[in-house]
Amino acid sequence: MRAAYISADSLAGLVADLRASAARVVAPARAADGGVDYRPIERLEEAELNGAVPRRSLKELFLPPTEPLLTWKQSGSAVELSEVPVEFPPQVVLGARPCDAAAVATLDRVMDWDYHDELWFGRRAATTMVSLLCTTPDETCFCTAVGLGPDAGKGSDLLLLPVDGGFLAEVLTDKGEALVAAHKDRFAEPGGRVRPEALVEDMRAKVAANLAVPMAPITAWLEANFKDPLWEGIAVRCNGCGACAAICPTCHCFDIVDEPEGVTHGVRRRNWDTCQTARFTVHASGHNPRDGQNARFRQRVMHKFFIYPAKFGELLCSGCGRCARACPGGQDILETLGRIAALAAGKREATA
Amino acid sequence: MRELQELARKLLTEGTVKVVIGWEEGPHNVRPAFVTSPEAVGRLIFDHRCVHNLATYLNPRRSQVKKLGKPAVVVKGCDAKAVAGLIRETQVAREDVVLIGVRCPGVVQRPERHVDLSATTVSPRCAECDNREPHLADHLVGEAAPAPPTVAAPPERLARLASASASERWAFWQEEFARCVRCHACREVCPLCFCERCVADKTQPQWVESSPHGRGNLAWHVTRAIHQAGRCVGCGECQRACPAGIPLGLLNKKVAEIMAQRFGYRAVDDPSVPAPIGAFNLNDSQEFIL
Repeated sequence: MRAAYISADSLAGLVADLRASAARVVAPARAADGGVDYRPIERLEEAELNGAVPRRSLKELFLPPTEPLLTWKQSGSAVELSEVPVEFPPQVVLGARPCDAAAVATLDRVMDWDYHDELWFGRRAATTMVSLLCTTPDETCFCTAVGLGPDAGKGSDLLLLPVDGGFLAEVLTDKGEALVAAHKDRFAEPGGRVRPEALVEDMRAKVAANLAVPMAPITAWLEANFKDPLWEGIAVRCNGCGACAAICPTCHCFDIVDEPEGVTHGVRRRNWDTCQTARFTVHASGHNPRDGQNARFRQRVMHKFFIYPAKFGELLCSGCGRCARACPGGQDILETLGRIAALAAGKREATA
Repeated sequence: MRELQELARKLLTEGTVKVVIGWEEGPHNVRPAFVTSPEAVGRLIFDHRCVHNLATYLNPRRSQVKKLGKPAVVVKGCDAKAVAGLIRETQVAREDVVLIGVRCPGVVQRPERHVDLSATTVSPRCAECDNREPHLADHLVGEAAPAPPTVAAPPERLARLASASASERWAFWQEEFARCVRCHACREVCPLCFCERCVADKTQPQWVESSPHGRGNLAWHVTRAIHQAGRCVGCGECQRACPAGIPLGLLNKKVAEIMAQRFGYRAVDDPSVPAPIGAFNLNDSQEFIL
């Protein structure tokens, strides 16, 4: 694999170059209230590289919380539809967490399944993903358990690894190569600089200590155990608030609504939705096949660890740990996976 | 702690209740516990990290909790106000729940495992606490606790808000609401958001647009704040649940101040005190009626 070197100063210069070329640069940065989000930046100093996990993941850059799909205008009996643009100006994500970048690549599968989602892929095509080795895993991170890691390259075009005075930039895709080529003055040959393997291994071990269970038996157990006593009390503390889905890098369900903006015209939009609320599955009759939070949480686990892998061969989870951190009720996916792994191994723990 | 656990054991052993809802050390944080057998009462804890308002599990929408049978719920003073709200609004019958009150030292903002109670970690609501020992409880446990630490001054951005002009406050909330993704976590965790069908979910007509854009977000947050007027007990769970970090507690507080000023009402843990939203009083201000 080809690698280049970029000093911290040159990285700042790269951000300036990109902004001068009118490319949008998005990086983890502090919002006005002090929280870290992936936000557009003007200068590198605004970026919080390897600080706190951004509150929300990268998915909103490709699937915004709300976006227009078309607009309509009515005149007498004639209806005129206008499509929305599916081409987007270039953007570079700088300092993506590898788990967040990987999640976007995972979602490419469903977005190109029975329907090619032009808005998703329009934004994907316009985006170059520059990830950064994660050196700040906490105790709810479990990317290694889902086949990723602090240096996972999935979904990234360039992967930055901190080395003396700057970063080793591993070129993972043609798009990554194009970025380096377009800004070749900012990059140098790596020279004697080598991958910081000790640091990578250190981070990997730190994450692996949080959850070390094999995923294949979990997927197999889920397929065979839609009905199991485990599910009967799995989400008693869950309030069905859906915060887990809002911050999840891979939850991608959406609702489509038509919003009039006047008597004769309006917008069709798609908005984020979540299977964790009662309303998601309620029928017009009032019947709700997923009646209760236990069934809804089961759906969340099933979709991520059985249904998606069965359909697309990939887990719908990047192990970012956000759901375990964000849940106001203390619902914990690491605990759930641990319990399922135990059941898959034939061990049923007593529940109180 | 021992007193709490022994009481839970007694209630479960005698069959007075089927489940004791309290707090436990979770895998990563302190979290709600649902103890259904006397052997498991050792899980129950209470200290300054027990942030969650467990009254939310009495909300009739928590069908998975209802299935467990008659509950005993451990309540702080603030939580007891929410139970009173549910009783006042006929969502819970007083005899259907056993309330274990705890004497509260104040709680932190987030139920992290390793966090001390200090001026910077204490929940801002604790500074104004007027109910450190719940009155509504059937049992009161724990030693009298010292007063919570004085709350450190809020960040300047928030402190400025009180004296800001209407247009500055408008700009502030526009910025905050812009982050809202309309997950409605604020509604779902609220003990008093018990409407089976929220006005925000109605589509014929669509009173509140479901899209997280300026119009939809403003309509939602204003509707929520006003429907909570005189009902909100200030427990702060909406703000804690918000994945976007919107300081909803500020809105609730402002509404509570207006309710106190206009209607002489403060949230209390006495269900017999009527809340203005559900009561008619000839002495209510009428000067806004044309």
